[in-house]
Amino acid sequence: MARTLMRFTGVGGQGVLLAGEIFAEAKIKAGGYGLKTATYTSQVRGGPTVVDITLDDEEIFYPYANDGEIDFMLSVAQVSFDLFKNGVSQGGTIVVEPNLVKPTEEDRKKWNIIEIPIITIAKEEVGNVITQSVVALAIANTIMHAIDNDTLKEVMLSKVPEKVHALNLKAFDLGEKYAKEAISK
Amino acid sequence: MALREIISSGNELAAHAAVDSGCKFFGGYPITPSSEIMHELSDLLPSIGGTCIQMEDEIAGVACAIGASMSGVRAMTATSGPGISLKAENLGLAQMAEVPLVVVNVMRGGPSTGLPTRVSQGDVAQAKNPSHGDYKSITLCAGNLAECYTETVRAFNLADRFMQPVFVLLDETLGHMHGKAMIPSEEVVKAGIKSRKEFTGDPAEYKPYGVAQDEPAVLNPMFKGYRYHFTGLHHNATGFPTEEIETCRKLIERLFNKVEAHQEEIDSYEEYMLDDAELLIVAYGSVSLAAKEAIRHLRAAGIKAGLFRPITLWPSPAKRIKHWTDKIEKVLCVELNIGQYRDEIQRASGRLDIDGLFKVNGRALSPYEIVEKVKGM
Repeated sequence: MARTLMRFTGVGGQGVLLAGEIFAEAKIKAGGYGLKTATYTSQVRGGPTVVDITLDDEEIFYPYANDGEIDFMLSVAQVSFDLFKNGVSQGGTIVVEPNLVKPTEEDRKKWNIIEIPIITIAKEEVGNVITQSVVALAIANTIMHAIDNDTLKEVMLSKVPEKVHALNLKAFDLGEKYAKEAISK
Repeated sequence: MALREIISSGNELAAHAAVDSGCKFFGGYPITPSSEIMHELSDLLPSIGGTCIQMEDEIAGVACAIGASMSGVRAMTATSGPGISLKAENLGLAQMAEVPLVVVNVMRGGPSTGLPTRVSQGDVAQAKNPSHGDYKSITLCAGNLAECYTETVRAFNLADRFMQPVFVLLDETLGHMHGKAMIPSEEVVKAGIKSRKEFTGDPAEYKPYGVAQDEPAVLNPMFKGYRYHFTGLHHNATGFPTEEIETCRKLIERLFNKVEAHQEEIDSYEEYMLDDAELLIVAYGSVSLAAKEAIRHLRAAGIKAGLFRPITLWPSPAKRIKHWTDKIEKVLCVELNIGQYRDEIQRASGRLDIDGLFKVNGRALSPYEIVEKVKGM
């Protein structure tokens, strides 16, 4: 596989970091290389946060995604969307939470923008807003086919307490379902 | 040597290296971007009978680690640039009294509180002389995830060998990046532990600082019947303060000489694609990752670039630097500061025409910025 570059963005406190760690680890478990870096501000909450995920079969040196080369971005905050969207390659996919991010018409011409209410799904259908990172994880993988789903789920479960396994599996399945619906539109 | 695969961050790897190296004491005060080291050790150390203590401030953090080391255990502290500034006085004490200690500095933007969550290499010059007075710093700099582990291991052995603080420089990128590291097994690390020397003769004849001019002090663990004095003042063979002219001269010369005379035990560097190189890039720490990727791009475009990466920054591998700068005309030093190590490359090479690519806004240097700079050289 060629190098896959993904970027998850939000604001501090939303928990976008975990999804990146899961992706990197799943790729390594599958026999390749994966790196996650996170960039955040010194504000505890509310500052724009960006997680870069690099997956490759070859060794990766530089751990950040080069601007203009990112294949996929997911954003759950307007401030982060505006700051980081230009890193995505022309024609690349950006998934946004439509209640929190309003892309312009120009954005829609430049990128393949998909709207999925990630936070509403986590809050109302899964029942816990914390699971938004797992919903996001499933959405990203359904669109990017970066990792075998079983490996990804296995690593995801190893990162969350056992008592919430069922909840997170539900979040994963819902993310997958919504992503599939969005693609087929 | 059989390696094991660990998926982790640089900070967590440094913490695990400490435990595998036999470290039994951590004293510190949490500071971004180094906090995960302390966080991890607060979990690991108590479970093996060690101690991890959060003190009231940075100064107390290093002071209690020095105290623990005097009692004979391997000790560590971790911080970032602002913490080193605060710890400086005590680091000078450890240099003067010859107390081994591992000090990890995960570099962030400075000066002062600077850019707490952003990457920098602004503390390279500070690591050479963090406190006043004459002494010779030993500073190691990890350049990838695996080295966050292996250089911490090496730091513990060097600290005990040379009886002084040893710095391990990480930076925000390395400390926080999460991925695969291939590192030596715990058994290999444990078998490689070289503990500090101990005097076993008659306590009446014990002279901890009465050693050869190229050797470190032999400090027995305190409270075991070997009496000596411990001070930041100039001192004689038993550690008691003195202003005797020859003793003072010999003490400071020995602090220099114990490191200088054994530099081959400390030197470490990586040479990447240098054999046929026509352009030399010097980079260290996380910047070397961007440099390696840049070299791949440059070679694909027909430009024969190679990397010299010092792993031991202080004392610098000056002879090896000169070897390459004598051979290769175009030299570029790439750093996340304004030429702190280029000064050393200029000194070692005897050349003032070393080019530089520097960045100080808290953001990483990308491979493309290096490629662009090289193409314009």
